[in-house]
Amino acid sequence: MPFNQKQLSVLLIFLYFSSISQAHHSFAVEFTAEKKVAIKGTVTEIWFRNPHVRYYVEFVNQQGKKESWDVRTSSPSLLVRKGWTKETIKVGDEISIFGHPGRDGRKLLSVISIKLPNGSSLGKKYPD
Amino acid sequence: MNITNKNIFRAALGMLFFAAFSSFPVMGQNIEGSWMLELNGSKQEIDNSITIGAPSDNEAAIIGELILRKEEKGWQAHVEGGPVEIDINGGKIEILIDSRDLAGFVFFRRLNGEISGNIMSGTFTIEGATENPEHGGYWVATRKKEENKKLPPNPQNLTGIWTPAPGVDFRKYSMDLTEKAQNWHNDYIDHYDQPNVRCVSPGIVAIVAWGAYPFEILNSEERLTFLYEVDSEVRRIFMNDKQPPDYYPPSAMGFSNGYWEGDELVIETQLLEGNVRDFRGEPISEGARMHERYSISQDGNTLDAVITLMDPDNYNQPPIRRRKWVKNSNTEIYPYECDPDSFYRQMYNEDKLDMYFERSHRRQID
Repeated sequence: MPFNQKQLSVLLIFLYFSSISQAHHSFAVEFTAEKKVAIKGTVTEIWFRNPHVRYYVEFVNQQGKKESWDVRTSSPSLLVRKGWTKETIKVGDEISIFGHPGRDGRKLLSVISIKLPNGSSLGKKYPD
Repeated sequence: MNITNKNIFRAALGMLFFAAFSSFPVMGQNIEGSWMLELNGSKQEIDNSITIGAPSDNEAAIIGELILRKEEKGWQAHVEGGPVEIDINGGKIEILIDSRDLAGFVFFRRLNGEISGNIMSGTFTIEGATENPEHGGYWVATRKKEENKKLPPNPQNLTGIWTPAPGVDFRKYSMDLTEKAQNWHNDYIDHYDQPNVRCVSPGIVAIVAWGAYPFEILNSEERLTFLYEVDSEVRRIFMNDKQPPDYYPPSAMGFSNGYWEGDELVIETQLLEGNVRDFRGEPISEGARMHERYSISQDGNTLDAVITLMDPDNYNQPPIRRRKWVKNSNTEIYPYECDPDSFYRQMYNEDKLDMYFERSHRRQID
C-alpha cells in the first residue's frame, strides 16, 4: 500500500469533504439512499476516468455463484487532488467496500468507505 | 456545527424575547411578499439589536428567498422558486422545505417559529435520511429589501481560480413546474436520461451551480472567460453590447453578456438550447434565459453568486440557486476527459440497451 502517514491524514481529511467530492452527479440518480451494504472481493479492472472512477470487483456469493460489482467513487480530478491516484488500488487487490447499492437490484455500489488490504480506509472510516 | 453554550444562551435569549412580544396573532399584519430566510447562520443583529439565530463558526449559513401569498385556498409559499408546505396560525408559522444534500439524497427542513412584524424566527429540524445529516438549528427571516440598483459600474478584479465553498444554497429539490413541464418530467428516468451520465455536458445552467469543481476566471479587454473544470467547458462573457452573430445556434452554454452594476457583475445568458436544469431532470426550454449576479468580498477572497432561471414555459416561479467560492491559488484546473464506455457497457450487461435507445426522444427537448 503506497500511503504513508501524511498521505493517510490527507485522505482522512478528504473523508470530511467526501460528500462534496461525490456530488459529481446525484447519488440519488442511481443509488438507494436508505440502504448500505458491504462487499469484499478482488479487483478485476480499474476505470480511472470520468464520469466516475470505477473498480470492478468480483467475489463468490453464499450460493457459490460469482458476482461482479461496479464500484464507483468520485471523478479522477477530485480524487487525485487528495492523493488517491490510479495506483492506489491495483488489479488483484482484495478490498472491502461499504456503500450505497444501485437502484432496482443493480450490482452497483457507491463508495462510502474502502478498506485496503493493510486495513487502512479510503473515504470514511470503514465500519467495524 | 459547533454551537457554543454561550451562543445557545444568546440565541435562547433572542427566542425568549420573541416569545414574550410576538404572541399576538398575525391578524392585521400583511406578511405577504418576499422575505430573506437565513438558517443556522451567523448571528443577526437586527434593528433592535437582539441577537437572533445561533452563531456558528464552522457551518456556513443557508440563505434563500421565501415568498408568501394569501390565496383563496389559503397560504401559498415558495422557497428559491420551489413550492413548500406552510401553515400559519395566529403568530405562529411552520414551513416544510424539501432539499437535496450534497450527495443528492432528498431530505426536509421543518421550520417552526413566530411572526413579529417584519421579523420571523424560530428553530428548524431535519427529517429524512441523508449521508451527511445536518443538525438543525435556528432560522430568521426578514423582509427582502427592494433593490433599485442603477449604480455606476465599478469593475472588480475576479481573475483567479475559485473553489466551491460549503453552505449558502438551499438546494431546493422540487420546483413549481408548469403542466407542460410536469408532463414531460413524469417520464424522465434520470440515471438513463441525464446528459452527464453519458459524458455529455449538462450545460451552463447546471454547471454554474455545480458543487464540486473549481473554475477559473480570465479577464481580457471587453471579455471575461470562465474555464470550468467540469466537462472542460469554456464560457465567454462579452462585457459590451455584442450581439450573437447571424445564425449563432442555441447551445448548452448559451450566449452571455455581462455588465457591472456598482461592484457586482451581472450576466445575462440567452440562446440556451432545450436541456435539463438539474440532476432531477426538470426541463429548460430554448427560450429560457439565465440571470446571474456575482459579488466579491472586500478582501477579494470570496465570490458569491445568485443564479435565476427565467423560463415561464416550464416554471411558474423562477428557480434560484446560490453559490459561494473561495479563491484558491494552490490548485490548477485539472483535465476532465470523459469516456461513456462504462455507461453503455453497464446497460449492455443488463440487457437494457434497446430500452435506452427506444427512449432517445427523451433526450431531445424543445
